[in-house]
Amino acid sequence: MRIVNPSFGHVPAGAETLKTGTVDWKRDPILLFSNSKPNAKELLEGLKAKLGTVRSTEGIDFVWKPSASQPATADQIDGAARHYRAALLALGD
Amino acid sequence: MTDKIDAELVEVGDIDTEAWNEFATAQGWSDGLPMIAPTEAKVARFTNSVKTDNETFAPISPRQVVPTLQSLAANAVMAGCKPEYFPVVLAGLRAVLEPAYNLHGTLATTHPCGQLMVVNGPIRTALDINCGSNCLGQGRRANATIGRALQLILLNVGGAKPGDMDRATHGSPAKFAYCFGENEEESPFKPFHVRRGFRPDESVVTTMAAEAPHNINDHASNTGEGLIATISGTMSQVGSNNAYLQGPSFVVLGPEHAQTLARDGWTAESIQEALYERSKIHVSRISKENLESWAGQDRHPVNDHYYPAGSPDHINVVVAGGPGKHSMFIPSFGNTAAVSARVSL
Repeated sequence: MRIVNPSFGHVPAGAETLKTGTVDWKRDPILLFSNSKPNAKELLEGLKAKLGTVRSTEGIDFVWKPSASQPATADQIDGAARHYRAALLALGD
Repeated sequence: MTDKIDAELVEVGDIDTEAWNEFATAQGWSDGLPMIAPTEAKVARFTNSVKTDNETFAPISPRQVVPTLQSLAANAVMAGCKPEYFPVVLAGLRAVLEPAYNLHGTLATTHPCGQLMVVNGPIRTALDINCGSNCLGQGRRANATIGRALQLILLNVGGAKPGDMDRATHGSPAKFAYCFGENEEESPFKPFHVRRGFRPDESVVTTMAAEAPHNINDHASNTGEGLIATISGTMSQVGSNNAYLQGPSFVVLGPEHAQTLARDGWTAESIQEALYERSKIHVSRISKENLESWAGQDRHPVNDHYYPAGSPDHINVVVAGGPGKHSMFIPSFGNTAAVSARVSL
């Protein structure tokens, strides 16, 4: 029996995944990405403080989704990819 | 579970129904209920039923891949649809893919919303879509499988897998299948789709990211004014996403409640206005922390009240169901829209 794959789809042009290199967590710029839920900011601030014990906090920046109920904008994701080597996401509520 | 197969066609061997379901479940293609195998022959019958629908589809969130007509049809086959249901499924998909619907947000959220489909027009009777007694319940193939097909598409093509990209805290029975038709024949008002600018002879699907329906029981009120008090009281919920984010909702009037309202001079529009105003929530019912959080989002009370709807138009009034003194309130995800799409036949 041959079936049609119900999960089949095409990746849109220009949306290919790029391979990235390893991250130097002690030196590379890192983005702390908030899902804009309550307490996400506090969670990420704590993370930044922890990182500050092992590296300079320069180059560790924050960004917030415009709303907890919407995805991050394309500009935010593009900016994260262009300027940072890693992004840490706050997913908890 | 992640997808294990990338090919459009899959040879699964000579397997029986039980083995097929075990195989499909192992691929992560199941909603937990048994499914029909989407053989090439069955899928072809579905794709042949939509030959007038030539528009391409946008990528489906959250996985962001562009579906093929065959992969969409495979999900409709698996759901148990008849081929003639497929145009309604596709209209529902086109509606949820409109940017205003915020499909990504509605699928990835912790909130328990499913994709509600409200069907209007002649397709309801042609397909035997239940608009009367128990229209939101079990028992009618069209309602159950059309709603299920859309959910399966979002699961399999969209990749909204529970616990993975679908982050719902509890989920909801509304995420299995959520489709009914308006009882236009017993409604004292113009059909819902006509009030939204469509012709009466057009068939239309309106979608909304919706919680399961909340019952509105009122056997005693025999005036429109009394019913408005009960309905607005049910809508005035502190923990609803609408309280936090405003946005759309549906009020599904049972025909008996609708007739009482119409007899007392209420129109669909005046019902919307009254429910908007009277469902507002007094600040005394809202926690101190939420008040602080909302103030931080620059959201402030109006005369000591918050409005769960952004405007009267956000409250979508339809008539459905059978005999009985019940109506239904269906809150939404909040940051979404009720979006309508014409069924291409």
